[in-house]
Amino acid sequence: MALLETDDRRWKHRQPITFPGYSVRHGGGADRPNRASSNESDADGQVPPSLLQWTPLAGTALLDRIRITGRPRPAADPNRVEALRRIIDDGIESCLTPVAVSGADRRRLVVTHAALSRALDRRSGRSDGSIAGRRELTVPIACGALVGVLFRQLLTTGSFGDPWVDGLGALAVDDRQQELVAWIHRLPAGERDGLAAEVRRQAAGLARRWPDLDAAWLPRTDEPIRTVLSDGAVELSARVDLAIGRPGLDVASVALVAITSGSRRPAHRDDLHFSALVETLRRPAPPFAVATYYSRTGELDVDPVSDELLIAAAERTAAGISAMVRQEEP
Amino acid sequence: MTAAAQLTEAILRPAPSRTGPAVAQRIRDRLAGNVPDLVAPLPPGEQIVVSVPILRQLASGGDNPTIRPDDPFAWKPAFVRRSLGLAAIDACLAGYFRAPLEAVGPVAERAVAEWERSGWRTFHWEPWYAGLGTGGRGAVLAEASNWATGVWASLDWGQFRTAPRLGGPDDQWVCPGPRTVRLKGRSEIRIDLPSPEPSDSGSGSGSTTQQVLVAVAGGSPPSGLDVQLGYLALVAALRTPTRPAPVRVVGLWPQAGEARTVEVTDELLARAGDTALDAVRAVVRTRGGSPMDGAGLGVGGGADALGTTDRLGTGDPASGSAAIEALAAA
Repeated sequence: MALLETDDRRWKHRQPITFPGYSVRHGGGADRPNRASSNESDADGQVPPSLLQWTPLAGTALLDRIRITGRPRPAADPNRVEALRRIIDDGIESCLTPVAVSGADRRRLVVTHAALSRALDRRSGRSDGSIAGRRELTVPIACGALVGVLFRQLLTTGSFGDPWVDGLGALAVDDRQQELVAWIHRLPAGERDGLAAEVRRQAAGLARRWPDLDAAWLPRTDEPIRTVLSDGAVELSARVDLAIGRPGLDVASVALVAITSGSRRPAHRDDLHFSALVETLRRPAPPFAVATYYSRTGELDVDPVSDELLIAAAERTAAGISAMVRQEEP
Repeated sequence: MTAAAQLTEAILRPAPSRTGPAVAQRIRDRLAGNVPDLVAPLPPGEQIVVSVPILRQLASGGDNPTIRPDDPFAWKPAFVRRSLGLAAIDACLAGYFRAPLEAVGPVAERAVAEWERSGWRTFHWEPWYAGLGTGGRGAVLAEASNWATGVWASLDWGQFRTAPRLGGPDDQWVCPGPRTVRLKGRSEIRIDLPSPEPSDSGSGSGSTTQQVLVAVAGGSPPSGLDVQLGYLALVAALRTPTRPAPVRVVGLWPQAGEARTVEVTDELLARAGDTALDAVRAVVRTRGGSPMDGAGLGVGGGADALGTTDRLGTGDPASGSAAIEALAAA
């Protein structure tokens, strides 16, 4: 089933579903306030925007922007996958020693987009060589984490209560976020209040603009994706905020979406193209689109996935892995 | 044909029995003969549990592997996703829901309601889940929905003529003695195949049903994991002497979009038995004992050198009896 082409007829006879013990929300959203059906009318009851004012997409218009790329959807092609793997393997061959590739006690090099970017920045002198994997906690990082879990909650349950309370509650059950939660609680009251206000503002935008996603489209949130290369020596690993569409079909049917709470940066597209590459290497077909949604403004950038995009991502990945390996050498 | 249809077809392919009638009994006898000597250095009453995660540590530990003790148990979304995800898939197969995203919320609510009404905990996490706010619950549901959607999309469920069995108690076999050694194996899905030939299990049961095990894992498949998958078949065979060993084990890595199948043979079972003995040795060594160097099972060379830091990660370690044990340990 292609993305957003729900075969409603197939399931209509089952509605309303009765699962012993409760009723089931279908299509969701009945309990979600302030949902726009197609276009955003206004922000929080303020004066409606003038015709000259740009209005963020909302509802089905937002989904259509992701779904309709204006290009044919790529078909599954083993030759594409092979070619992309070869680009990376050839690019990193010289820096992976034979022992590293085939030794019995080899360690797998796990490559994330953050690690790639760090290595490439260091190579080009844009970074002071900060410690790999160490995250400096800041208000924008906290805001991103909170908006991320709220987006996940919204798409999974269809609603949230007080976004600040729910966001902290979601982070609190994630053992990887304990340090961040403690840091947020230690913030001076003024900064914490400012953060809470921004989180609530962005969450309201999410709830207002994002429509319910049909469960039949198999939406996955915060999905880890990965693939192994170079005879097991390298693993590409990414995490996408939203993957939607049934995977494993002969024609591209999956779209990947990243949620960003901050400002637009070129690195966002690099990251997303890396995710498109990983998805292509792990499935028969590539994703048909990758998108970045800016929760601060409601902007949406959509890139149709093409062979050119994937080749560029593979070349950047090879360069980044080479840089990573060389920077780790004594 | 979709990737899911291809995999399901491969799972259901007729499988000639490749294990002899007495191999499980032979391995059982060898284990029972060797294990008491291996664990003799430990204080009486001490217990050892061998599981796939232990085998994985063994495989990645080089010549002198050590087995690290479990972390103190605390509930988190990753510990709920397997049991809740499997229950959600079950509800989808029963026709109540179209996809796991729709199912996880109602299934969790019903479990909590049932626990509140009767005190009976189907999954063991009900009190913890009930105590979470909406944000924490949303995180749990999202995690379970993701996990279940990965499994749901990996198989073509319509191809199964008889309903696959989802979850259920772990396979276990206990080697008797003053220091208990328990072999545990966890499979997410069990599928019965009609046998193409009369049973030659030699057990006298006349069973003609062949079983395929499907184990779902996080991460990506390391190379050479045949023994780890074979171990699941071994424990199933040891647990139920009246049944022939499973004919096939499928490992599923939804994050990597990969599946690996091993056909169960005498040789594979014997190697898995050897590896279990190696694991016992490593655990005894880690606990400060000096195990006697017991003989292997005569086939194969012990643990595979998987050479990876990745984990097979069969999901929720805290469902069913495992949860009780984990809570007791905590």
